[in-house]
This record gives sequence, structure tokens and C-alpha cells, in this order.
Amino acid sequence: MSFLKRQLAIIVMSAMGFIALSGYFINWSALRDFTEKDAANFYMIIAGFAAFLGCLNLLQLHLQKIAYKKENWQYSIFTLLGFIIMIIFGFIYNGSDVTMGPHLKNEQSAFYWMYNYIYLPLGSTMFALLAFFVASASYRAFRIRNFEATLLLISGVLLMLGRVPVGALIPWWVVIVIIISILFAIIAPKIRDRKVFFISYISSNLIFIILGFFFNWHKSTPGILSIPVIQEWIMAVPATAGARAIMIGIALGIVAQSYRIMTGRERSILGD
Amino acid sequence: MSKTFKIDYIFFIPLTLLVLHGINSKINIFVVGNELSFLSLVAACTIIEFFIRKAKNGEEIYMRPISAMQAMEEAVGRATEMGSSVLYVPGISGLDEIDTISGVIILGHIAGMTAEYEADLHVPCCVPIVMEAARESCKESYLKKGRPDLYNDSMVHYVTDDQFAYAAGVNGIMLRERPAAVFYQGKFYAESLLLAETGSSIGAIQIAGTGSSSQIPFFVTACDYVLIGEEFYAASAYLSGSPEMIGSIKGQDYVKLLCMIFIFVVVIISVLNFLGILFFDISNIFKINILDGLK
Repeated sequence: MSFLKRQLAIIVMSAMGFIALSGYFINWSALRDFTEKDAANFYMIIAGFAAFLGCLNLLQLHLQKIAYKKENWQYSIFTLLGFIIMIIFGFIYNGSDVTMGPHLKNEQSAFYWMYNYIYLPLGSTMFALLAFFVASASYRAFRIRNFEATLLLISGVLLMLGRVPVGALIPWWVVIVIIISILFAIIAPKIRDRKVFFISYISSNLIFIILGFFFNWHKSTPGILSIPVIQEWIMAVPATAGARAIMIGIALGIVAQSYRIMTGRERSILGD
Repeated sequence: MSKTFKIDYIFFIPLTLLVLHGINSKINIFVVGNELSFLSLVAACTIIEFFIRKAKNGEEIYMRPISAMQAMEEAVGRATEMGSSVLYVPGISGLDEIDTISGVIILGHIAGMTAEYEADLHVPCCVPIVMEAARESCKESYLKKGRPDLYNDSMVHYVTDDQFAYAAGVNGIMLRERPAAVFYQGKFYAESLLLAETGSSIGAIQIAGTGSSSQIPFFVTACDYVLIGEEFYAASAYLSGSPEMIGSIKGQDYVKLLCMIFIFVVVIISVLNFLGILFFDISNIFKINILDGLK
């Protein structure tokens, strides 16, 4: 028993790992066919059996909850009702002229109606909740008062403005004021005298706006003064650099983890 | 040196293939364009193996403390003190994703902690095959800690295969049971923020870990601790405390250092090529062809 649960499992795990990996590199059509088709089919067959176990588990769990009237057992009635109704419409009651099986994709069938008008809207509702959660999460992230959070807030606002049509309509002098304001916000703690700060802030704005008119920036605006261009730069340079650094780390992590599993050193998945 | 560094049987076949390819490249052993990635993989694995051997031979290896991993035991302890349960979400992908496998591995360690602290563990699964693997992992952990009496099959259960229905189900569990500690370890997609924000709203201590780079920002925003990228894969090695496993992390770090050196060299040579000082486009060497080669 121990051999089946431990050694055999490790042997299968390692062998399949090496074979699947070889399929990507070795120029042998039989091996590639195996990794692309047969191995995927093996997984699907095992997953199919597991799906049956999953359904049984769901039924068992909720029936037990109802039978023993455990806490919040009322919700289990709805789960079981949904489960049974979909089984009836899928396997027993058709509701359309099409034969059983293809009726799942027929617009006239009861199953299709249930799927299209109850299941999908419920899923969409959950997805739509994401918008509100993004707002609350952003608020929490932006509320933190440190340099990184401020940087995140600024780039977030610039990205949001740059991705909507109104961003392109923002004139260059407004962008100058925004950039100078950001710079002064960063150096503000270093300048103690309020008068000096105020005068230098106003004069910087005026100087750059006059320079802009002098160099005809209203006709040919430099990229740094266009919100959509700034947005593109943020996405293409700092965001991509950060994402790639994480991606390289993830790739190396996957290599090390896979190596540990394939060489049988990582056996925690088998409970060791 | 000879004790720690010897060519293992694992590397015998790949090295033979590389030598054969080097002697006569017309044999076409490899999928065209994948030779370099194969060589890189063998090199990376050799370095990792070397450090595993070093650790096995008794060399002490330092691993920097990672706050998210240290907080795992604290979170389970907190849940025990509060008399609440621990919720473990293993993501929504199947076992064909390395993230899910890592999630199940970490679950084994967490189950060991809940067995030790006698805290309730709740693992809602999205994929039935993951449920079976998670059950096995939890059962063995409880057994190993000498508390098989605390384990029951219903602590690891199936919810649904659908992404948002699963998110709704797990959110419902969170709002009804109010767990004191929530772990998100696995492969996540758009449901990550739905789950993490609900967890945040109930005041649970949340520890996330995923290899999905697009979901990391959401977890960073809503969770207390996050295992970012490679940390997530290193977690099981860290939690096991086994010198062999920690050795592999050191090997991985050396591979990363090698990558950094390569990036630096490529940037310098590319700049020199751009300026016309050196007439050699190094980027051609690093082009790989995994997808095209399979067509």
C-alpha cells in the first residue's frame, strides 16, 4: 500500500514530468504527439472521474447540512434546488423539438433558457461587483501617506486620464501646471519658507507657460506635455520593466519548483 | 568538491543530446530554435542541483526571512485564539498549473499548523481533482501531527467549477463563518479582488501568494501579506525547513544572478551595436521558438 501511495506516485510524477518537458524540446513526433494529445487526454479522463466525485461531495455536504439542520442550512436548499433543476433540464426534461444532447445549445430548450437568463446574468453580476471593489481597493491604496503610494496615485491618475478621450483634450499648459505641482509636492518638505515656496511655484509655472507660447507648443506639443503620450510611456517603460522583473522571478521559481517535484524531492503534495 | 559536484544520472541524457547536437547539428535532435532554451534549462537545473548537494552535505545556507511566511503561523495562531476558523483558497485552476500544485503543497503545511493548534480548517475547491489532492494533503498532515481525529473529509469540499459562482460561494462562506485567517495560495484570475476585498471587509488577516503577475497588485492592495512571484514557489521549501529544499532556493538565486549578468552583457553589446562600435546583434542568439517549433 505504501509503495502504491508513495514510491509509485513519485515514479509516475517524475516520469510524466520528464516526458512532458522533453516533448517541448526533442524533435520526435511520437513524443510530441504523446505530450500534446495523449497526456492531455489522460488528465481529462482523471479529471472526469474527479468531477463525478465533486458532484457527489456537493450533494453529500448539503444533504447532511439540511438533514442535521446545521448552521445556515437554509442556503443548502437553494444549492440543491439549483443542482437538481439543472440536472432535470439537462438529462430529463428537454422543452424543445431537438433531441437530448444537442438541446443544450438549442435556444428553445429549458436548459438553454436557464443558462442564458439566470446563470449568465448571475455571473455577470459578480463580475460587475469588481468595479466597486476596484474603487474601494484603490481608495485604500491611495490613502496611504508615503512616497510610493503618492507615486502610485499620480501614475494611476495619469493612466486613467490617458486612457479616456478627454485625456487627449487636456491642453499642454494644464499638463505643465500638473508636472510642476507634482515636482513641488516632492520638494515641499525641503523648503521651510512658505513665501519662497509660493513665489518659486508661481514663477516656475509662469516661466514654463511663457516658454511654451514662445516655442509654439500649442501647435506642436512635446510628448512630455501630452497625457496620452505620458500614459503610453508609463505602460511601456516603468510598468513593463517591473512586470518583467517579476516574470523572470516567477519563471525561475517555476523551474526550481518543477525540478524539486520532478526529482522527487518535493513530496508535500503526496502528504510527505 | 568531487563529493558535491558530480554529474548526476538526471543530466546524463540531456548532456548526451547536447554533445550529439554539438558534434553534428544536422541530426536535428531538438525542435528548431529551442536548442538554447534547452541548454539554459539544463544549466539552471545543474546549478540548482549543485546547491542542493552542497546543502545536503551539511553546508549552512542562509535564507532571508520572508514576512508573509513568518506570518502564516501567526495567522493560524490568531484564528485559534479568536476561536474562528482558517479559510484556505487554493485558486481556480486545475492540477495542470504549477501554481495550483504549489498551493496544495503550502496547504499541507498550513494543515499541519491547524492540526497543531487545533484550529478549524476550511478549504473550498473550484476543481474536483484539486479537492482530491487537497484532501490527501490535509489528511496526511493531520496524521503526521498525530491528530487524525481532528481531520474530517468535509473540511475540504467542492463548490463549483465556474469562476464567479466560486467567488460568490467563497464570499458567502467568509461572510457567514467570518474566519480569522484567510489564505489565497494558487492560480487566480479576476475573482482575486472579489475574494480579497470581502476578506478585508470581515477583518481577517489575509496572506496571498500567486504566480499570476496580473493579480499581484490586487492582492497587494487588499491583503496583509503577499508572496510575490518566486517567493510563492519558495514557500514550501521555506516552510519545510529541509536543507535540500533551501539549497534549491540558493541555486535559484544564483541562476537569477546569472540572468542579471546576461541582461547586462546583452544591453552593453546591443548599445555598442547600435552605436556602430560593434557589428554583432546579440539578440539573435536569444530568440527562442517553442511555439513555432511545435507547429
